[in-house]
Amino acid sequence: MKKLLLSTTALVFALAIGPALAQEAIVVGTDVDAGTLDSRLTRDTTAYRVADLIYSGLVHINPQLKAEPDLAESWETPDPQTFIFKLREGLKFSDGTPLTADDVVYTYTTLLNPDFNAPMRTLYTPIKSVEKVDDLTVKFNLESPYAPLLSYLDLGIVPQELAEGGRDIATQPVGAGPMQLTSWNRGAEIVLEANPNYWAGAPEIAKVTLKIIPDNSARAQAFEAGDLDVIQSPLSPQDISRLAADDRFGNAIMPGLGVTYINFNTKDPLLSDPKMRQAFSMLVDQQTIVGDIYQGVDEVASSVLLPSSWAFSPDIKQPTFNLEGAIALFNELGWQDSNGDGILDKDGKNLTVTLSTHSEDPNRVQTIEFMQAMFSQAGVDAKTQITDWPSFSTNYVQKSQHQIALLGWLNIVDPDRLLFSQLTTGGSTNWGGYSNPKVDELLQKGRSSLDQEERAAAYQEAAKILAEELPYFILSYQGYQLFYDKEFPTEVTATPRGYLRGLIGMKK
Amino acid sequence: MPAAISSRPAVHQDQFAPTLAKQTEPDAVIAYLIRRLLLFIPMAVGMVVVTFGLLLIIPGDPASVLLGQEASPEAIERLRDTLGLNDPWYVRLWDYFANLLSGDFGTSIFQNQPVTTIILGRLGATIELAVAALVIATVLGLAMGVISAMRQGSIIDTITMVFAQLGVSMPVYWLSLLLMLAFAVQLGWLPAIGRGTPLPQAFCAALSGRPQVLMDSLSHLLLPALALSATPAAIISRLTRTSMLEMLREDFVRTAYAKGLRRPRVIIRHVLRNALLPVLSVIGLRFGMLLGGAVLTESIFAWPGLGQLTITAISQRDLPLIQGIVLTFALIFALVNLLVDLLYAAVDPRVRLG
Repeated sequence: MKKLLLSTTALVFALAIGPALAQEAIVVGTDVDAGTLDSRLTRDTTAYRVADLIYSGLVHINPQLKAEPDLAESWETPDPQTFIFKLREGLKFSDGTPLTADDVVYTYTTLLNPDFNAPMRTLYTPIKSVEKVDDLTVKFNLESPYAPLLSYLDLGIVPQELAEGGRDIATQPVGAGPMQLTSWNRGAEIVLEANPNYWAGAPEIAKVTLKIIPDNSARAQAFEAGDLDVIQSPLSPQDISRLAADDRFGNAIMPGLGVTYINFNTKDPLLSDPKMRQAFSMLVDQQTIVGDIYQGVDEVASSVLLPSSWAFSPDIKQPTFNLEGAIALFNELGWQDSNGDGILDKDGKNLTVTLSTHSEDPNRVQTIEFMQAMFSQAGVDAKTQITDWPSFSTNYVQKSQHQIALLGWLNIVDPDRLLFSQLTTGGSTNWGGYSNPKVDELLQKGRSSLDQEERAAAYQEAAKILAEELPYFILSYQGYQLFYDKEFPTEVTATPRGYLRGLIGMKK
Repeated sequence: MPAAISSRPAVHQDQFAPTLAKQTEPDAVIAYLIRRLLLFIPMAVGMVVVTFGLLLIIPGDPASVLLGQEASPEAIERLRDTLGLNDPWYVRLWDYFANLLSGDFGTSIFQNQPVTTIILGRLGATIELAVAALVIATVLGLAMGVISAMRQGSIIDTITMVFAQLGVSMPVYWLSLLLMLAFAVQLGWLPAIGRGTPLPQAFCAALSGRPQVLMDSLSHLLLPALALSATPAAIISRLTRTSMLEMLREDFVRTAYAKGLRRPRVIIRHVLRNALLPVLSVIGLRFGMLLGGAVLTESIFAWPGLGQLTITAISQRDLPLIQGIVLTFALIFALVNLLVDLLYAAVDPRVRLG
């Protein structure tokens, strides 16, 4: 009855106000507040997603992870070390000022300046210089061929004049994207409105509100209560199954761009032998972890290549769960239970290892505890070390003090992003100290060749070696989930990155 | 802590027994206030040093959190230099105090805004929530306590005390989700999350003929305030009950009845007034606890206050922001305690400030 009354009132209102109500608004739930809205400095999911609406880059990465023209209408690569972008004519920022090649040069030059402290700077370091050819043409000169570059050129272009004029782009951003910032109530909500100056025209949705609700379950409940129109990962597994079964809601459940993996410290005397890493990997019951702890939200992984990637091959396989096989391998390596205490030993020393992860993610904590139990069944004395993220990352894993650590990588839009810095000799995030000249060569080839088939071949060969030597054991491919109210005003196109352009009715 | 409060207020005072203690002079009150406020300075210095020490001990580096997993060690080191994290601890502590003296609480590493701006932007929401919770807790707690003391041993007493027990033992996290499930998801009466217009503005709007703004604010406030009030309401009700029962047995109550006073007058004027004293100091202390409880409640109901900010700041090791929040909490706590002491003197003239 109340509902009926409400909808009647709404109808009367709609008739009375007419066109004003035709402008649609959506409310999206999100888990953290953005730290900064300067596209060059973003470092959390909310900031990425909002920046993607406020700014436009040279290219846009579509849901299939292909680069599409955005501000640039076309580009060419006269040689593997040069990219030339042609901008659209008459581009404008949301405040109406023109966007030219100068703004593109300014954006990338500041980003590459080490003192600017941009979190993603490493992704762009192969760029030697960015220069303006004319008002509508920009040239990127690279140190060496760098194939993944195009995937990262969706970086939002900032207005040089405003930024240099002292405007705080981090809190009062101005971009050339489909939406613009209306208000930002820190810790509560970010409100955006359609940008009429967007080159393709304003989107159908006139207003997007992002509500910040840190607790996963509370966010799911707010969605069920109708306070939110859209929610997406991260969500708790039990909420996902309940929401998926509810026919009031539509959903998009797909493989994401992240992995959960086990980082072996190959510099640790116990773990320096690949055979030992194989034996430990065989103790990881992926089926149970993914099926019961993650309740099937993620997918059992088989190699360092993601199924969504062009480089994926189902034939490359890491070791799978095999308790007896692992024990046999330990025995072969000289670890026997000689004193009958149930723990394997060698030269009078017990087989002891420390499993670690960070406390923020309860599923990872549970996984580590489950692994501890499986390890002890095989006669391994496993200890656990669980601390909060800043202690775990800075003081432990990044200083290579771990033995076996459970971690994750996100935003793997290109195989290079999961492998190059992480697994080449001396790479900046090679915390396990892995080194194999053959892998170095293949990963270098993977990033420098511009031919996708050649790249895929290089990555597959590297993945094969990595599946045997196991500096990383990939536990699962993370899933991505999005739920929306069935009465959603526009068509919904989800992307595994969780970006929102597919929800606002963009003009093509 | 109540300064200079005499002993347990068991000695009865009423209009028939002229009190011996004389009212505190206004001048003395002002001198007392100034002294109490001055005492805040050493306390604040202590708080800063202790927090600073704790932050030195706990591992974790804001530079590495800020730059994320993909940053190179050189980039992290460069940012540490920029942030001054590589300076020796005494230099950093000295700098912090020097800035404090000029009223500068520093700049948040993560939000890149002055700490003062950030905290002031959030403070109102937390105070609004804590005060609302305290009002609900006091009204509920006093009512439940008085009723169950009056009907000691009855079924009403049992039910009330079972509720009080539940209130103390239920985790606020769980209770919050349950309230949200019942009133927002199932019944759909109240919004599940967020805050409406801040109450002071909402009152103004209501006065200028827009009562729906006030209703909206209150409807957002009700669930989190209720969740937050459960524990203090339970504690206040138990304490009121005990305190009332104690007073009911006192001689002066018998005397009052003997004089022919009616029961309501005896209860309100003689029993409750005396029983309130210990309750009052607990309510004051509870306000501090409420600020702590608000940390969880705010996260669940997406209430944009200091509690949520505290969690984020600690998890990111945003050192200047953590310092600022701790100082703010300490200041609020000290001010509330001072207020309680003043109220004490107002309720019980035998208590002298000085």
